[in-house]
Amino acid sequence: MSPEIASIDFGPPTEVFVDAAVAERFARETGVELEGDRAPLAYPAVWLAEPRLRERIAQICAEADALPVHESQRFAYETALRQGARYRLAVAARREAKPSRLLLDATLSDSAGAVVGRVETVLRLVSRAELPKKGDA
Amino acid sequence: MSAAAALPEVGERLPPLEIGPFDAQALTRYAEVSGDDNPLHLDDALAQSIGFSAPPVHGMKLLAAFERLLASWRGDLFIASLGGTFVQPVLRGEKATLTGRVLRVSPEEGVFVRLYAHGPGRAPAIIADATLRPRPGNEGP
Repeated sequence: MSPEIASIDFGPPTEVFVDAAVAERFARETGVELEGDRAPLAYPAVWLAEPRLRERIAQICAEADALPVHESQRFAYETALRQGARYRLAVAARREAKPSRLLLDATLSDSAGAVVGRVETVLRLVSRAELPKKGDA
Repeated sequence: MSAAAALPEVGERLPPLEIGPFDAQALTRYAEVSGDDNPLHLDDALAQSIGFSAPPVHGMKLLAAFERLLASWRGDLFIASLGGTFVQPVLRGEKATLTGRVLRVSPEEGVFVRLYAHGPGRAPAIIADATLRPRPGNEGP
């Protein structure tokens, strides 16, 4: 593996749940009309903000003295997410040096182990030293 | 193939969708439900300190809105993927327009749509894409 790309441990898969009330609020705030028991396709954004993932991302940013800036996001599904359903979320992560990025590849599977979808998140790690300051040209 | 399942033509444009403007309360509500409480989206002083005249709208909030654009256009198709790159921010108080155009169609790969979100700036705020397929038997409404 290139020294400019390093795998990062994000721990074992965790169980996640599509809370129907949260799905409804998420849909309302993103302008999505829900159909039946489907969840909004961007609903996994809620799971990416769960404390264990957030704390790990914050730790990586702190070590890099950087702020995370959301650079890109992708959702891909074999089947639609369902409200009230439980899934397993496995996160594989890697760090790129040039440019400085954290890439999260999450796989969602159902209780039988079948892959339901994948969620790819790219965070650009912007050095605090490079941030413009108020008054800069 | 039934008329309802007919795939669109290459070059077809999706009816544009205007969203926003989003006020501070809308950004707070999105932060609460999504868990993305990055103060950059909520704190005027922080946003101004790094050069924005107002806090930027969460990119994910804008990207998620493409689901409505796609479903309004072809609700009979299953959105198999949606992804995008956040190019430049849409700021609080600004509107955004979502547009799309069919680039490729095949029975095997489905319908590939190029998507854009434009704020007031000339450059797109988000460059995105989606793949739609006929709904499998267990994906009916």
